[in-house]
Order: sequence, then structure tokens, then C-alpha cells
Amino acid sequence: MSIPVLICDDSALARKQVKKSLPAEWDVEVQFATNGKEALDILRNQQIGVTFLDLTMPEIDGVAVLEANHAEKLVDFIIVVSADIQPEMQKRVIELGALAFIQKPVNTTKLKEILQQYGLL
Amino acid sequence: MKDIALTEDQRDCLQELINVAMGRASDKLARYLQTFVHLQVPYIELIDSQALPERFAENYAEEGVSLVSQGFYGERGILGESLLIYKSHDAHGIAEILGYEPDDISEVEQLTDISSILTTTFLNGLAEQIDNQLAYSAPRIVSSVDTPLEQHLEQLSFNWDLALKVDISYQVTDYSFNCDMVLLIPGEAIVNIQAVLDQILDEF
Repeated sequence: MSIPVLICDDSALARKQVKKSLPAEWDVEVQFATNGKEALDILRNQQIGVTFLDLTMPEIDGVAVLEANHAEKLVDFIIVVSADIQPEMQKRVIELGALAFIQKPVNTTKLKEILQQYGLL
Repeated sequence: MKDIALTEDQRDCLQELINVAMGRASDKLARYLQTFVHLQVPYIELIDSQALPERFAENYAEEGVSLVSQGFYGERGILGESLLIYKSHDAHGIAEILGYEPDDISEVEQLTDISSILTTTFLNGLAEQIDNQLAYSAPRIVSSVDTPLEQHLEQLSFNWDLALKVDISYQVTDYSFNCDMVLLIPGEAIVNIQAVLDQILDEF
């Protein structure tokens, strides 16, 4: 059965970049969210296996999504994909329960390693 | 030239490239100042050369500002000017952040250091993503006390009616230090960057 995957980014290009960098052999069904609010709606109402989450977004940003996810215990596997690479930000998202941090633009090899490391692939 | 417009896809693509470059510049600044920089979504618009000085006057009317201006030019006709704008209050604050005594190092040198970190990290980040090599002109420092900003903007060394303008804000949270980066990509260079953006869009 395909794994339901959510890709949340306000940029259409970034969403496509993440989708394209998913391993070809990974059997997934991809959904998109264009901001934090849409992502939370989906995470609250559907079973999502793995979420790829951007941080810098208008209105509800990625950190707020992680905070809500942490408080409501919605999903286990959130991988942050962000241009905000400051060490303090990386530390913060991991503390908020993100599985891993990947810097933009996404590195396909790094992404695959993370998926394998956590037995997702 | 006046009928240039960015498509929604081009704007989205440019914004994402800017986000990545801005993220790298913020990371460098955060490490240099040992603090955290709050990132905001950049603002992109096409602006008439006539309207630019007025826009600056509106945004920076209240206080004096210092501006560090640096030109860049690369392959495939990509060129422009990067402006870093510091309100006087923030310019004075840098010495304190860096722990300098008032006489250690001049304010001009401090601004040059920070500007160099931000501008080169940002532009190198942008260049890398569009597979380009950029060269830079020497930075010029303009204080609004000595030279009206409008005058500097009018003197920028390119002829243009229209420019692509990108506004980026760097906010240091714990010291309330802010500076604005304005990127101007003028005239023909807009068409050239559009071609680069289309090429990236075709890949995805």
C-alpha cells in the first residue's frame, strides 16, 4: 500500500523540487499544502505517513505547525525542508519533534539517507 | 521595455531562489553576531525608475540612514545593484553588538564588514543556484546626512526605466538590530533573469 505523503511549502517550485527528489522506488501518494493552515487541516483529518515541511511561510509558519503537532500529537514523521539553516533554528525544530532537518535546495542523497535511517524506505 | 511582467511561475521561482540565498546570508550574520536572525518572506515588485527615489523617501523618511551600495554582474547579462540600508539607530548599535569600544573601529568599517558578509553570501548563494558566476564592484557607502539617497539612486550606473526590485529584511531578534536589503535588477537584465527562471522552471 502506498504511504500517504504531505509536502507543505508556499512555493510551487519548492513543492515540485521536493516531490522530484523523493526516491523513485518509494511507493507514495503525494498531497500538497501551500501553507501551514492547509497542512494542519490535512494532518488533523487524514492519516499522513511522512510530512515534508517548509518553515518560512506567510501566516501559519512551519514552526507553528510543529508546535501544534507537538501539542496535539498528530503525526510522528515530519521532516523539515528549509532555507533557514541557522543552528538555533535547526535545534528548535528538532526539539519540537521534527525527525530531521534538510537544507534547501533538497539534496536527493541526503533525503534518501534520512528515509533509510528511520526505516521509512 | 515598459510592458515587462513576471508570470506567476517566474515570481514563485525567483522568490524561492531568494529565500535560499537569504537563508544563507542570515546564517552567516547570525554566526558573526552570535545571535538569531528572524527571516521574513521577501517582497518582489517591478518598479519604475521615476518612482524609486520617492519609495525610498517614504520608507526612510523619519531618520537618517546609511546605505552600502554594491554592483554585481555575471554571465548571460545578469546584473544589478545590491543596497543595504541601515537606519542610524541600528548603525550605532552594531559596535555594541560586536563588543567594540567607541574608538576601536569606525562605524563605516563596521557597516562595510556586515554588508560584505550579507551581500557576498547572498549573491553567491543566488549565483550558485542559477549556475552563474558574479563579479562585484567596490562597495560605496552613502550617508543620508551627507548625500540625499535620491541623488545616489539617480547616480546608479545603469540606464533603466524599469527594475525588478526585491526587498529583504534581516531582523536580529535579541538586539533589535534591523537592516534592509534591496536588490535592483534593471532594464534588459530583467529579461535575462526571466530566461534563467524559465530554464529552471522547465526542469521541474
